[in-house]
Amino acid sequence: MTPEQELISALQTIPWFQDLNPEYFDKLAGISSLIEVEAGEKLYQQGDKQDYIYVVLKGRVAVEIAIPGKGRTRIYTAEPIEMLGWSSVTPVVRQRTASAVTVLPCLLVRMKASKLQKLCDQNHSLGYVVMRRIANVAASRLLVTRFQLLDIFSHSSDEGSNV
Amino acid sequence: MTVLTTSKPISDCTSDSMLPMWAEIVKIEQEAPRIKTYWMKFKDPIVQDTYSFQPGQFNLLTIPGYGEAAISISSHPRHTEAIGHTIRLAGNVTHAIDRLGVGGTLGVRGPYGSTWPLEKLKGLDIYIAAGGIGLPPLRPVIYHIMDNRADYGKVVLIYGARTPEDLQFTAEHDSWEKAGIELMICVDSCDDTWTGLVGVVPMLFYRLRIEPKNSALLTCGPEIMIHFAAYEAIARRVPRKRIFVSLEKNMKCGFGSCGRCQLGPYFVCKDGPIFNYKKIGPYLEVEDF
Repeated sequence: MTPEQELISALQTIPWFQDLNPEYFDKLAGISSLIEVEAGEKLYQQGDKQDYIYVVLKGRVAVEIAIPGKGRTRIYTAEPIEMLGWSSVTPVVRQRTASAVTVLPCLLVRMKASKLQKLCDQNHSLGYVVMRRIANVAASRLLVTRFQLLDIFSHSSDEGSNV
Repeated sequence: MTVLTTSKPISDCTSDSMLPMWAEIVKIEQEAPRIKTYWMKFKDPIVQDTYSFQPGQFNLLTIPGYGEAAISISSHPRHTEAIGHTIRLAGNVTHAIDRLGVGGTLGVRGPYGSTWPLEKLKGLDIYIAAGGIGLPPLRPVIYHIMDNRADYGKVVLIYGARTPEDLQFTAEHDSWEKAGIELMICVDSCDDTWTGLVGVVPMLFYRLRIEPKNSALLTCGPEIMIHFAAYEAIARRVPRKRIFVSLEKNMKCGFGSCGRCQLGPYFVCKDGPIFNYKKIGPYLEVEDF
């Protein structure tokens, strides 16, 4: 199997791409690469303007935020078929708001975000599939963030408890 | 269509059931910061020999002068030579229990309440979702499943805590996995040494491939986690009638007389603590209930 065929096969294993017309896999392969990364390596750094979006195929990646005075705090881990760096495909160009570090050895699909955005603009059916997924990712991250903000396991209600 | 129900609560209001029986703390195990398992034996050998409980039930632990606390039983339902209660030190009663130490005596009355309907769930895939101190009431379920593994399909424990240090029963996790229970464990926050998942219990449902027609959910933890775990299961078309929740309310008397644990038309101590979500779900969604 050639590297390109291997990449297309990997893209075809991503469930949320399965609604795509087969012709789009060639186009996606043209802006993607398959990368293997050892545990403990940084995919991107908070503050970077790196232009990639990642899909985890194997392994686990931690998303961390550096908090002044507190250091790095791990806020999320991404598992197979999850997406990382998705905000770089949204219309407003941003710098990275968090860092991503591999926790386990990983196999990832890395896509050039600006080119993916352009492909989505040119092919709305592809754009719909990609943006639908990003909306889903954003919604799930929002739920996680809400729970973390609520701090549901805190013991603050214990004060004055008779039990 | 059959609606699965929890077993009939065993609580009653006879004078015998209201009397605490004296028990001695024979061992204390630290599970997590401020969370310990207290192993107790009844002083009366007849009570000790005849005492039995079902997974999901609770006892009322009494310290004269301090009061009572309703605590779920966290030990093996068939190994009753000592009864385990896993307690988070929160207020007067739990701190008083802790101060007793090994050899201390306290009153125990129970068991009270409904049970996880494990017999009725035979043949199904079982998803157990627990958060924080919600795991101890589900540990007897895990033991029951381990003893009767062939009776159930896939079994997955989805368990979340605040930090890795707050995870309970970690020494047993390997044996649970070896018995064919898949563990998905996440924490809210951690340092670099944690290689597991960071996230929240409801989010882990995104990673499951649930066959809804053949699955049941048992859940216990903070009420908001229960709500969202049930929501995620329902979103994956698990029928409400096969979702069971264990609720913690301010239980006092143990048989529905005092009304402190009332939730809509139900008393958690008497009609629960295990409820079918189809029955209790609407009341969990009412503000201020």
